[in-house]
Amino acid sequence: MKRALGAVFATTVGVVWLVTFRVTPHARPVAAAPPPSPAPATSETPSSAPAATPTPAATATPTPAPANRPANGSYTGALVPTRFGDVQVRIVVTSGRITDVVAVQMPNDRARSAEITQYVTPVLRSEVIRAQNAQIDVISGATFTSEAYAESVNDAMRQDHLA
Amino acid sequence: MPVTVDVRDARVDPAALEEAFADLGRMDALFSTYRRDSDVSRIDRGELRPEDAEPEVRAVLDLCERYRRATGGWFSAWIGGRLDPSGLVKSWAMDRACAILERHGARNYVLNAGGDVVARGHREDGERWRVGIRHPVQRDRVVRVVLATDVAVATSGTYEKGTHVLDPHTGHAATSVVSVTVVGPDIVEADVHATAALAMGRSGLDLVEALDGYEAYAIFPDLTASWTSGFDALCAAPA
Repeated sequence: MKRALGAVFATTVGVVWLVTFRVTPHARPVAAAPPPSPAPATSETPSSAPAATPTPAATATPTPAPANRPANGSYTGALVPTRFGDVQVRIVVTSGRITDVVAVQMPNDRARSAEITQYVTPVLRSEVIRAQNAQIDVISGATFTSEAYAESVNDAMRQDHLA
Repeated sequence: MPVTVDVRDARVDPAALEEAFADLGRMDALFSTYRRDSDVSRIDRGELRPEDAEPEVRAVLDLCERYRRATGGWFSAWIGGRLDPSGLVKSWAMDRACAILERHGARNYVLNAGGDVVARGHREDGERWRVGIRHPVQRDRVVRVVLATDVAVATSGTYEKGTHVLDPHTGHAATSVVSVTVVGPDIVEADVHATAALAMGRSGLDLVEALDGYEAYAIFPDLTASWTSGFDALCAAPA
């Protein structure tokens, strides 16, 4: 690779500030869940990225291969309280893959009743769940987004030995 | 917050990175809402008039006001009577860092600041950069891959701590959307509209649909997604 500078990580050099509120320690630890294992026989996308951003979750102890094989069925994750309300989800597993995620409980706000406009077309859940084994250079995403949400899903996955 | 710079040019002055990161650090001191002696904190407490602040602070506050009007108030640096321009400062500082890199000759690089991305030029194989949009639950997965040349990608998410996810009109948290990703030429514009669209909830995509040159992808709590009319054209075909 002809990279003059390569990937440079500066995790603390005065740049934490920029979104300091995002990294403020939560009153309740929410990052305890190990990173979800990829579905069998798929490569982990970020690992191919030369400058993939290390996330806190990525430093967790690697999850050993589950002893039990994932079973079909639906699994309801733990109710995870947030400052906005409780979050709970249910996953549906078919042939060892998550095929659906249903929000059992989500915080209410007035916007939830907002009308769906002409531009907003609901799509199949499988659209989002489908992972792509594409060569990724960099990932965009709010790293600290929806931790409680992810936690409930991950809890449901653990029940099914998917994670 | 991790910041990574990945430069693929063969010849770039090594001082470019040092200078870029040093500038990010300077902006830290200037804009921190956690340092009591920062300009932002002093303005918040009414001890400093905005017009007497450092030029960078004035520039950011002016930008905040411009975007507040452009988004019909859905983006605001003032929420609940408190000043917090953080929703714009990060991308604004990224813009400065990009300018520094380019002044030192960088043409093909990716700057990633906590999940907001600026991708310039090409990879060394001549292909476009591939920017994944993170799956909100399976964090080692992506839901889409944006093919990028000279493109900025900003994602805002709910359930974060922080004022920029609050609805500026009510002060309440916006929770009807998990995340909004905005893709377009300018990182500040993309960032501001991702934040505003998130605060708007399900109708937030309208805001971006009306914005020339920008597309958006929103993920909802039930793991459905919606996107603007031109978003598919920016993405790699599904694997």
